[in-house]
This record gives sequence, C-alpha cells and structure tokens, in this order.
Amino acid sequence: MTPGRAFRVVGQSVRRLDAIDKVTGRARYVTDLTQPGMLHAALLRSPHAHARIRTIDVAAARAVRGVHAVVTSADLTWCDPYFGPAFRDRPILAIGVARYEGEPVAAVVAEDEGAAAEALDRIIVDYEPLSAVTTLEEALAPGASLVHTDAPLAGHFADLSTLKPVRGTNVCHQFHLERGRGAAAFAEADLALEDCYYFPRVQHYSMEPHAALAAWDEESGLTVWASTQNPYSVRVELAKMFRVPLSRIRVIVPLLGGGFGGKTYAKLEPITSALARLAGRPVRLAISAQDAFRTVRRCDARVRVRLGLRRDGRLLAAECVADFDVGAYADIGPRIVQKGTYTATGPYRIPNVVLHSRAVYTNTTPGGAFRGFGVPQLAWPFESLLDDAARRLDLDPVELRRQNLLAHGEEFEPGDTPVDGKFEESLSRAAEAIRWTQAAASDRGRGVAMMMKASIGPTVSEAIVRLHADGSATVLASTVEMGQGARTVLAQIAAEVLAISIERVSVATPDTAMTPYDQTTSSSRSTTLMGRAVQEAAEDIREQLLRIAGEIIDAPPAELVLDDGHVVARGGRVAYPALLTERFGMGGGELIGRGIVAPGRSRAPLGGSTPFWEMAVGAAEVHVDEETGAVVVDDYVSVADIGRRINPQQCEGQDEGAVMQGLGHTLLEEMVYDGGQLLNANLVDYRVPRAEDLPSRIRCLFVENGDGAGPFGAKGAGEGSLIPVSPAVGNALARLTGVRFRELPLTPERVWRALRARPKP
Amino acid sequence: MLRPFALYRPSTLAEASALLREHGEDATLYAGGTELLLLMKEGLVRPHVLVDVKHVAGLGEVVAADGAIRIGATVSHRTVERSAAVQAHCPLVAGVARHVANARVRAAGTVGGNLAFADPHSDLATLFLVFEARIDLRGLDGEREIPLDAFVLGPYETARRGDEILSAVRLRSWPVGAAGAYLKFGLYERPTLGVAAVLVPDAEGRRVSEARLAIGCIGPRPLRLRALERRLRGAPVEELAAGRADVASAEIDRIDAVTDLHGSADYKLEMAQVFTRRALRVAAARAAHHVIDARYPYTVVV
Amino acid sequence: MPATPTPSSSSIAFTVNGHRHALEVPTHALLLDVLRDRLDLKGAKRSCDMQVCGACTVLVGDAPVSACSYLAVEADGRELLTVEGLGTPDAMHPLQQAFVDHGAVQCGFCTSGMLLSAKALLDEQPRPTEADVLHHLRGNLCRCTGYRKIVDAILACAAQSGSAA
Repeated sequence: MTPGRAFRVVGQSVRRLDAIDKVTGRARYVTDLTQPGMLHAALLRSPHAHARIRTIDVAAARAVRGVHAVVTSADLTWCDPYFGPAFRDRPILAIGVARYEGEPVAAVVAEDEGAAAEALDRIIVDYEPLSAVTTLEEALAPGASLVHTDAPLAGHFADLSTLKPVRGTNVCHQFHLERGRGAAAFAEADLALEDCYYFPRVQHYSMEPHAALAAWDEESGLTVWASTQNPYSVRVELAKMFRVPLSRIRVIVPLLGGGFGGKTYAKLEPITSALARLAGRPVRLAISAQDAFRTVRRCDARVRVRLGLRRDGRLLAAECVADFDVGAYADIGPRIVQKGTYTATGPYRIPNVVLHSRAVYTNTTPGGAFRGFGVPQLAWPFESLLDDAARRLDLDPVELRRQNLLAHGEEFEPGDTPVDGKFEESLSRAAEAIRWTQAAASDRGRGVAMMMKASIGPTVSEAIVRLHADGSATVLASTVEMGQGARTVLAQIAAEVLAISIERVSVATPDTAMTPYDQTTSSSRSTTLMGRAVQEAAEDIREQLLRIAGEIIDAPPAELVLDDGHVVARGGRVAYPALLTERFGMGGGELIGRGIVAPGRSRAPLGGSTPFWEMAVGAAEVHVDEETGAVVVDDYVSVADIGRRINPQQCEGQDEGAVMQGLGHTLLEEMVYDGGQLLNANLVDYRVPRAEDLPSRIRCLFVENGDGAGPFGAKGAGEGSLIPVSPAVGNALARLTGVRFRELPLTPERVWRALRARPKP
Repeated sequence: MLRPFALYRPSTLAEASALLREHGEDATLYAGGTELLLLMKEGLVRPHVLVDVKHVAGLGEVVAADGAIRIGATVSHRTVERSAAVQAHCPLVAGVARHVANARVRAAGTVGGNLAFADPHSDLATLFLVFEARIDLRGLDGEREIPLDAFVLGPYETARRGDEILSAVRLRSWPVGAAGAYLKFGLYERPTLGVAAVLVPDAEGRRVSEARLAIGCIGPRPLRLRALERRLRGAPVEELAAGRADVASAEIDRIDAVTDLHGSADYKLEMAQVFTRRALRVAAARAAHHVIDARYPYTVVV
Repeated sequence: MPATPTPSSSSIAFTVNGHRHALEVPTHALLLDVLRDRLDLKGAKRSCDMQVCGACTVLVGDAPVSACSYLAVEADGRELLTVEGLGTPDAMHPLQQAFVDHGAVQCGFCTSGMLLSAKALLDEQPRPTEADVLHHLRGNLCRCTGYRKIVDAILACAAQSGSAA
C-alpha cells in the first residue's frame, strides 16, 4: 500500500456485518442458544459480606420436582476449584467462607428456571457472620480482618508471575515505578501542590448479563458457549481446573450484548462447566442483571497526587500514590493497578516521577477490567490537579498542557515504545472545537483534559484467512464482537488486501477449535493487533496468488497487483478462481494465509512494549443549576489520536458511547454500599445514562496521521474517549464555580453541598 | 421468573371482593401488574391468588360530570394521557400521566393500581391532592368514599380494608381562571420530589385568591401544605411568576424526610422549597397568561 | 411453608407478526419467555427484568409493553408485533434500515426494543421533534452507542417517510 493512495474499503463506513441480523432479531447471544437436553442452572448467593459457612442443607432442595442436582463446594473436589488470571484465589463455589455479599455458595441444576428458583428457596445455609472490611480505609487499617488468609497460586499471566502481595495484609499486589530523581526533585519546584481524590465503584451494566452454556462429551471434551471477551483465557482456566488438555476444551463465542471489560477472564464458565459435568447434560447459566452487580465492577480508587512545576509551567516532578479496591477476589486487579498507574502522569514530559500503587482486597464485589483499565481512576485526579496548578500559576490550562506534551517520537519510559502521535494536534482540535480562546457565557464553564494509555504487551494475535475456490474469503480470528464492530473491521482489512468486495468476506464465529489464538478482545487492541494478523494472513495469500500468477502472466513480479478479484498486469488479468484451478488442477482447493503478531517481552516496565499509545482529549462546556446542584454538559468534544479509522462511522459510534459511559460515572453512577451490603444492584436504583442525558452537542473527532502500528497506520480506540470525561467536566465546573470536586459522581446533591460550603466572596 | 399462582377474572366488583374475602392473605388484586409483578419476581410478595380486576365492568371508564372527573381504577396512564375528557376538564392530569415512568409502564399501569400501591414516589398521589381527590372504595359490606389524603396513610399503606377494592378516583375541576403546574425532580427512576401547585387568581387577576400546594416523594406520604397555602393568599401573582414566592416554611421543614438513595433528608427539604417556588412560578405565569418556557435539569415540568 | 398451588395453565390464542398461535401456557408464564422459548422469537431480550431498560419491548396492539413483566395470558386474543415481524432482511422496515444506515447498532441487545418503541412513537407521531424522541426513549437504555445515532436514525426515518409504515 503506498501512502496517500485511496483505499477501496478501508476508511469507508461500510455497513456492519451483523447490522441486519441485529435489526431483524436474528442475532444470537448465549441466552438465545439451546442444546438438546439442556438444563438450567441457578446460583445461591451469600447475603453476608464475610461469613463462615457452617453447613449447607440441600435435602429439601434436591426433592423439588425437576431438580437434577444441588451442588456445593463439597461436590467439587474432583477438580481444582480455583481460578483467576492474576491469583487463582476465586473458588467456583465458596469453600467454607463467603467473602462478599453475592458470592455463589451453592448451585442448582433443574429442568427449567422455575424449578431451579424453587430449589434455591429451599437450600438452608448456616452462616456465622464474620467482621468484614468493606472500604479501603477499613481494609488497610492495622489489624484489619483479612479477606484472604491463604496464599493463592499465581494465575496465568507471565508478567504477573512477579505478583507482590504483602503477607498478613489485604494488599495483594504493589506496583512501584520511578523516573529521574523521583521525589527529590520537588525541592526545585517553584510550585508544589498536592491533593487527594476518590473514584467510585461503578458497574458495567452491559445490556446482556453474563451467561454460559456448557456441555461435555466423551469424544470432544468440554464445549462452552460463553459471553466472554477472551475465549482463550477462559479455555486455559478450564483446562487447569478440570485437568483437560487445551485440545479438548472448546470455547465458542457468539455475539456479546456488551462487555466493556466486564466479560474478560473466567466468570461463569467454571461453575457452568462443573455443573454440566455433574449433571451429565448441557447446562446453561444466565444470571440476572442484578447479579451482574455481584459478579464484577470497576475498582474504586483513592489517589493522592502531587505535582511540582516551574513558574513558567514546566512540569518538573509528579508523585501518584494510589490504592485500588479490587474487591473480594483479585481478578485482573493487579494488572489494572499497574496499567492505570503506569500512565498516571498522562501524555506529558515529566522528568521526575514516583508512582506507587496497591491492589487491596475488600469484602465486596470483585473488581475487574472496565473500559480504561485503571487509567480513568488516575486521570481524574491528575488532570484535575494539573488544572489547579494552572490556576495557581495563572496560566491557561490548555497552554500548560501544550507546553508539556510529549513530542512525537519521544521516549515515555525507557524500554517502551516511543510516543507515536502528534498529541499537540489533538489538543488544538479540541480547544478549537470548544472555542477555548473565546470567552464563555457568564453562566458557562469550559474544561479540558487529556489522557494516555498503554495497550498490552507482550501479546499474541493469530489469524487465518482462507481464499475459497470462487474467490471469496473467510477470516478466522478469535476477536470477539461485543458491539465495537471488530468483525467488520477485520473483514474490511481482508477485503482491502485481497482486493475483493467486502460482500464476499465472511468472518467466522470465534471458536477455539477453529479460530486461532488471540489473547483478548480488550485493551483497544483488536484493530491494531488482530487487524495486523489478518492483514498478514491476507498478504500471505496475496503472495501465493502472485506466485501462481507469475507462472501464467508474462510480466515481472513487481508489476503484478491485485485488483477486483484479479491479478493484473500489462500482459493480462486473471481471476482468482482461475488461479486456484491452475494451482490445484481442479475446481477446488483453497489458499490459506496465516498471520501471527506477537510483540514479545521487552524492557518496558509492564513486561512488554505497548503496540501503540492510546491518547485522547476531552473538552466540556457546562452550566450548573446552583439551586439544585444539577450539572448540565452543554457541549462535549472528544478528540482521539487514532492513526487511521478503518470504519469511520463505527469509530464515531464507539467514541460517542465512550463519552456517554464516561458521563455515567461522572454525573450519575455509583454503587452504594452500606457496609458490605450493596443497596442499589438494580436499574431502578443504579442510574445509567439515558437518551435524555445526551449533551445538546456532542462531537467525536479524530486525528488521522497514519502513524499507528496497526493496519494502514491505525491505532486502537474505544477506551480513550471515556477517560478524559470526568476531569474535563470537573475542570469546567471548577472554572465556573471555583469549587474543586474530588469525588464522583457529581450528583446534584454532591455539587449543591459543595457549592453551599463555598466561602462567600 | 414468577412462582405459580391461580388467576381469577371476576366480572363484577362483588365477585372480586368475594374472592379477596375467601382467600384472605393469600390473594392480591391485580390490574396492570407494573408494581406487583416486580415484587413477585423478587420474591418479596408471594400471593397464591391473583384477582384480576381488568374485566370488571365499569372500572375502565373516564366519566366527566358535575365539575368532576371520575377515573375508574383500571384506567391506564396511557388512557388518561389521551382522554379527551381529562384533557378538557383537568389537562394537568393528562400532562402528568404522560410522564409516569416510561411508555410501557404507562400502557399497562393503572391509576387505581398506582394509588392502591401507595408508593411514596407516586406522581398521581401527589397531584390528585390539588384536585381535592376522593377515593371510592367498595367491599362486600358496602361502599364508602374518602378523601385521598385519608386513603394514603404511609409508604405502601392505605386505608383499604379486607375485601374493599378501590373502584375509582374522583377529581374536582379547578375554579375558573385557575392555573397549575406539576414539577418532578430527580436523577433516578423514581422522582426525588414532586410538587403540584394551583393558583386561583382574584377577579382582577392580580392577587392570589386561593392556592393549593401538594408535595410528595420526600415524606412518608404526599401532603398539602395548608399553612403555606393560607400565607400565599393575597400574594401578587406577578411576584410569584417572577420566582419570588416566599416559601420558607416550618411546614416544609416538619416533613419527615428520610435520607435514602434518592437523597439526604436536608437536601430533600431544601429542594422542596426550591421546587415549591418554581412550581408557583410556573402556575403564576400561567394564571397571568404569560408564555413560559420553564426548564430545569432533571426536572419534568408539566 | 404453605403448599404451593398446582400450576394452573390456560389456553390462549394470539397473533404474533400476523401468525396465529394457540398455546397452553402456565398462568404465571411471562410473555417474554413464551415468545422466546415457545415461539422461538429470540429478538426480545431479558436485561434489567424490571421494566426500566426496554430490551424486552414488544407491541401489543399499538402499545409497547415490557414482555418481561407481562403475563402471557394477557396477550390472549391480541395482536402482537415483535422485531421479527417489523421487517426481514429482504423486506426491512424503514426504521430498521435507518438504524443500519446511521450506525445506530453496536452490540444489538437494546436494538429490538429500541425499534419497537420507535415504531410505536412514529405510528402516533409521524413527525416527532428531537425532544419527543428523547422523551419516548426514556424507557429504552443503551450502553454502547451513547444514543446519538439512535436518535438521528429515528428522526431521519421520520423525515423520510410521509407516514410510518
């Protein structure tokens, strides 16, 4: 591909592959699937945040008509009942102790959901409540009761083999990073300022709650249809737990009704698989939306940030100390803590940095991956304090950021990928779009924030492309479609490289028996990494086509190109089917292309260099109804440094969704706990954004300099635009009202209270 | 997932009451099911018998007569919203019906079910107080008619006894020249606060002759603010229309507001003042025939 | 614990997407489960299960209902419309086409409900304002799109057709 050449299908807003199925009700999700003889499972959950389980009496439950099995941990000694990607600390069913309100304690398998529910009612559990730690303060207090007393095994991440728990405490991991002279450099700052912030517990609320359907058979082993973002991660967990070779575990992923990180790593698959084994029949487990709140959430975090600057605005030193509450089980919490803290200081050049963070257990819903992966929790304090620094130095917040931005090609951290974008361009576009240099109306305030996030490394994505005898193609890739449009993007890439129309490209359902290894659909990585794997696989086929064509067409190899399903040169034009016939001597056969993208380990602090940097800017204009404290975002602009949009409409849709989800935790969403009891695990009491919450104006813009490591210069996106929302709004409010907010969400009451406490002029 | 139950569909109120009497605590009335089915799914109530009153003759009608509107118990919010009689005689009621919950709840949910459930957040239970609403109750031992504020006793608690069934609610039309407004404020599915205001201007239209104020959601049940109403008599309509009503009131302060997921008690009481003033502003502007476009964040203005 | 009554069942007949169905259903069966499990109409989804999110929206007559909280027996004698009846790949309803064209579909789990709610709106108000659309969509949640393209699709569809299909 020569730069500047127009692409045929890349860069076009082609119709999503699944659009018509979705609008006609034909799209299938896990709970739409059945298997012959399928039974239904239901889970009994602990009502206590922390309790010893003395006895579980299942006799009455077993007697309910239609019940096939009632299962407790005592029935699971035939397998290894622990799972977890960082620590294998999470049992399939609680073993002797329940560690959070909502933890599954027993399971029922029955003919139908009614019988299962009735059986759940009849299970009698004798709990002995224990003291619980339900906040960071409680969990970190000296002498705090411990959520985990045993040392669990490490899970399946190589870079987390260096997990650093602090024995005898609730700290399950620590991360520390320094650059330059660290904290010593503060002595030279003209201005040093420090503040403490809190990012709340929020929940993904995917429209489709988690679900899994498992079936065993002697020939092929275990098959699981799962609403999961990483089938291969689930597969390796199941293999370990059930002591089955990887080749005999098959994870199939139909469409997901949303994920946002909440469906990464094993969740329901272990229990569902165990139940299917015990029942001897396929078992489907579909939890309620309420129980999703008791399955995974975002890690809340308390963060102290300190900044040291020169009078002219140059950033000299930064210190971030963050405690993340990972809930009762670590899930991927340790990595979240690392990833979030790693770029705590944003896209800026800061020569002296100290970062220290901890993952802390509490007796609450386990915290896991959620769009942004720890970075929102750090961008909220950092970008807020940066604005405070601007105010103290009497500098414009946009100019302060601009002067400190990392330059294209500059090193962020030794061993890691250099900065791969012209960040200043995104900042300028955002400032211009929000009319930063023009005075806002007297009742409006504007704020800006930036963020930078590493993707993931080391990492692996493999893809296969098959060119069929008629010149159509199938892409085999385990990237999961959860709404972001990944399958369409992969089809576009294949269609572009193979020079065929996108209508002739299929993308197979992710299926570990068919589609090769992909680490995960998360981390904004799929367009870049799996996209490149697909691109390579398609290029592999191109090379094969050109080689075959070279024997037919009389032209130098360098002059052969693919065009519209043909290999073309001055001397002729041969359609792919003819080339395959030439190759195979018959009207059959196919060409198979393979792509493997595996940027391995490196010296970078997180174990591997980031394939690309995700960087985005947010700008907001707000007003406040001071009598009630209600904050209204009138105008929101997001700019993502995306490299190249493979599908512009999809990118815009993703970023609009990211902005609204960010407005969710900024203005509306909060899991409310009373001690260890979650009070609002339902949509009546947990407020997600509605259509009427749309800002009057929302614009999602993109900077496309073709400077990404992905296909055609693409980078990843989808998380970046969520992250700046809360500090952009917080900064706008601070400029408007003079009040700095340190906690989210900025509900009317919270704002009202802070405005009332404001010193009178 | 619902637990099994028997469903009866009586065609008269007497039959319905007889079923309630026969089954006692095991039975519950059922119309739209918008509250009941949710409670049943959660396992919070477990009736073995549902008495479906939707097929009882006469319960599904809206009748206007003698300066009053009689809304049958099984009339849906959707029907109220679209009813020509309601729009003609008490348009504010049609407007508020349009904003109950969401379109699906409005299609299935009924006025009678809403009032009988006595959710403290009910818009209708608040609004109907400024229409001097009266509730018709019918049981096997006879019928009675009581004011709405004697019917709703507390959260989810009403004066309905035994086999009595709420058959209708009666609303009195306002005096000529009266204008009103209903404002509900809140972030969540259930409003944090609902305020209904009606102003009747004097003959010249310059001062308030009569005021009615009802406030709901923040206390155990909706209340008329009668002391504040008396204080507003004689107030200049233009002052109120300019948003300058003096609503600081011990009566509001005495409301037994609780701190819950919808807000802290002190916030709710403060918002009660704010929205009483705002509701009066809208009502006064309408009474004075000003065009008003009152919009507040997270607020429905009807 | 009192004895649970024997589940009673009812014979009901209704029309779904123009097809008549006669079924025996338990009295306590919810319409959503009957549509999905008995009639294999999987388009309506279970999400919040409490009438807030709209993923289970179907039309009974011209009214949108939450199938997750609607007894199947209430549909007896009625005409129902699910997303499968709104249009098919070969004969798409203008709303379905508008959603596709405007990128108003991401994960798709809210889509069936959104489409039917939009249809109910346009049938009653062929030319809604944006405020009308936002009001009407109060009961339809989406976690993926941020709503902008959904609202645009509905408004575009209304602008295009003189009257809704």
